[in-house]
Amino acid sequence: MNRENVARRLFLSAAILSASVTVLILGFMVVLALPLFKQGLFFEILSQPWLPDSSIFGIFPMIVGTASIALLSLVFGFPLSLGVSALASTFAPTRIGFLLKKTVQMMTGIPTVIYGFVGVFLLVPIVREMFGGGSGMCILAASAMLSVLIAPTMILFFSESFENVPKQHIDAVDALGGTPVQKFLYVILPGSWRGILTGVVLALGRAVGDTLIALMIAGNAVALPSSVLDSVRTLTSHIALIIAADFDSLEFKTIFACGILLYLLTTISVLVIRVLSSKTRGMP
Amino acid sequence: MNRRLIDISVTGFSWASGIVLLAAVFSIIGFLFVKGYGALDASLIFGDTNPVDALLLRKPVFDGLFPAMVGTFLLVVLSVVLAVPVGLATGIYMAEYADGAVRHFLGFFFDILAGIPSIIVGLFGFSVTVFLHHQFSGRIYPCLLISALSLAFLVLPYLIRTTQVAIEEIPLEVRLTAPALGATQLQNVCYVLIPRALSGILTGVILSIGRCAEDTAVIMLTGVVATTGVPRSLLSSYEALPFYIYTVSSQYVDHRELMTGYGAAIVLLLICASLFASAYLIKYLLTRQFQVRF
Amino acid sequence: MKAFTFQGIMFGVCLIVVALLTIVPAGAGPIDGFKGQQGTIRISGGTAHIPVMKEAAKRIMTENPEIQISVAGGGSGVGIKQVGEGLVDIGNSGRKPSDEETAKYGLEHFKWAIDGVGVVVNPKNPVKTLSRDQLKAIFAGNETSWRALGGQDKMINVYTRDKASGTRAVFWKKALDKGVITARANFVVSNGAMKSAIGNDPYGIGYVSVGHMDATVAPVALDGVVPTLDTVKSGAYKVARGLYSNTKGEPSGLTALFIEYLFSTEGRQIVMEKGFIPVR
Repeated sequence: MNRENVARRLFLSAAILSASVTVLILGFMVVLALPLFKQGLFFEILSQPWLPDSSIFGIFPMIVGTASIALLSLVFGFPLSLGVSALASTFAPTRIGFLLKKTVQMMTGIPTVIYGFVGVFLLVPIVREMFGGGSGMCILAASAMLSVLIAPTMILFFSESFENVPKQHIDAVDALGGTPVQKFLYVILPGSWRGILTGVVLALGRAVGDTLIALMIAGNAVALPSSVLDSVRTLTSHIALIIAADFDSLEFKTIFACGILLYLLTTISVLVIRVLSSKTRGMP
Repeated sequence: MNRRLIDISVTGFSWASGIVLLAAVFSIIGFLFVKGYGALDASLIFGDTNPVDALLLRKPVFDGLFPAMVGTFLLVVLSVVLAVPVGLATGIYMAEYADGAVRHFLGFFFDILAGIPSIIVGLFGFSVTVFLHHQFSGRIYPCLLISALSLAFLVLPYLIRTTQVAIEEIPLEVRLTAPALGATQLQNVCYVLIPRALSGILTGVILSIGRCAEDTAVIMLTGVVATTGVPRSLLSSYEALPFYIYTVSSQYVDHRELMTGYGAAIVLLLICASLFASAYLIKYLLTRQFQVRF
Repeated sequence: MKAFTFQGIMFGVCLIVVALLTIVPAGAGPIDGFKGQQGTIRISGGTAHIPVMKEAAKRIMTENPEIQISVAGGGSGVGIKQVGEGLVDIGNSGRKPSDEETAKYGLEHFKWAIDGVGVVVNPKNPVKTLSRDQLKAIFAGNETSWRALGGQDKMINVYTRDKASGTRAVFWKKALDKGVITARANFVVSNGAMKSAIGNDPYGIGYVSVGHMDATVAPVALDGVVPTLDTVKSGAYKVARGLYSNTKGEPSGLTALFIEYLFSTEGRQIVMEKGFIPVR
């Protein structure tokens, strides 16, 4: 059938087009960062500080900034999310659990810029006054806000994998007279570690990739932080701030180094998730 | 005794987590409404301009959200128009046509695309613009069209995934009935699979609309500006709600502008909430309809 | 006939209103040059210029809805670069473009105002005067507490701008004598953002265009001279600079009209209202 073939080709070319966007994005960044590779500056940039007045444009402080904000947000967000998902799927009465899950789903619809906006006018002054030092625009404020942003990703993923634990295992605990907590700690949690890990990797990806919260409330300083009250700049904020610079300058080209780095991190996290999920599927 | 302690502390921690999370969310939303409540009136949107004149584009609006709302609206419509056909077609291909290996291979690309930080997509849009500006026409600037295209790339993986999942979730006996009766693959797609997967697909589209409406990182690199009025063409710069909120948060000049920022945040939140609610409603209604019919 | 007289009256009323608002004698104002024109003017760059640009754009666009003027920031470096690349029609800068930049892109400069760059702190901060050495020590990160300067026992939060900023360039050269700015400083993206950052941070210090100063921030006297419109005008305050609008080659069409408008009586009035010293 001619029409069948046309449709098939159309669907196929749409798929190829979509996939090529992924490749094109990397391609553009690599081409634009090419001068850095040619001059052998790429790795130097990754390890140097940012001293524009001495013409040294390294993004090492931004790497540290991104890592510290993302990891701290996970430190806040992970236990919180684990607790909430345990509540929603095991401990709370069904009705409350359902409502809680719906609220968390609604949270995924809150615009990031709103978290940033409330961060500027509510959280930053609180942090400034409570901890006495600094402007309040710091790692702590940004990661606290970010943990609220990434919590739904984890909660929804955790709850789903809790619910996928085979029912006969859960019934076995009930039959043996185990408490809900024992059921959770000894059956559900061990049975869903892959799902938990996947949720964490996804959340970490969101934390690393988010621009607005760090840009608005982390202060954007280019020094290496020595405490959580220090102001830092993330890789994503750096791109947003330097995009306005002279296109031909070395300064401008560093944002493509940031871009390639973030792209690689994304690819690694996708690979990790794929390995985790293929193992799950292979399980009996 | 020890076991009881563990029991109590684990449930206690779990309930505390729930309370902390809800408290955080409701204080964020509550803060916005309590502080911004006073900003909600007609002048929030139209400033000092007569609403009728503004809506008919007879008079430009200053000190109001109207240009930003129009900008966001145009941006969303354009991006969705660009992304939906490609996303749907790819999703159908992935679910119906691709064999295992191809699906796995292409899925890898879409997963990466879904995971790329939005600022990278914005950077891509910006680089493409500069490239086009130098190579083809000096009249190509960062603009509405470029932003819409970049946003389309951003939501493409969501559309593909939701379409693919919606089709794959259809029970196998339904997926195979039409072909067994002699229908072609295309007929099966058009008359059975798409109608059955419609609620899932629509939900994906609506959530993509929300994503386009709230994104700031992509547009701040590809053509949004603080002041320009209602855009006149696809190639002109524009204003948008999320960017306005971002700008006001860091550089408001007076109390009035700050209040407009609060107002903009509430408006954007309401837009996103209603999109979310309608996605939920559509899913609910369509699912019920099919349950009744089958 | 009747409609005609009504229009005539309305036109007269408008003229009187415009005359009252701008305190210029009614007649063929410079804004009339835009009449019947259509098209776009794209402006970017210097953030000190934005209030003037916005006000001018507002007046021109209100009278002539067919004209669209977009105003973006970015900083002086961005303005010069973007106008040079042809990405915008007017690139603003808070410093004079270098000879190299001028030659490379064939820029024409139009200096339409004098402005100062002053140090500001939060109004709650008792420290209202600093010597140049103290200022340099603060910005270099060597002086970290307000107490030694007569303030509270709190850490000093330094705010700065990025390298594209003309305000930073002028401040760095003329106030800090090209001294170091600490990497620990918080970054803000515009003069407006500097003002609101300092207005919100009781322990912050930054530098901002004198035209942008208002009650939300307190100017700090540098070596005994308070940065104000008057001290800049008299030359007593030394950290001063011109505000430039740059075009690629001789401006034409709407761009030329816009530049002309900035130098008109009405344009100069706007420049003054926004806190700058207009240039003839």
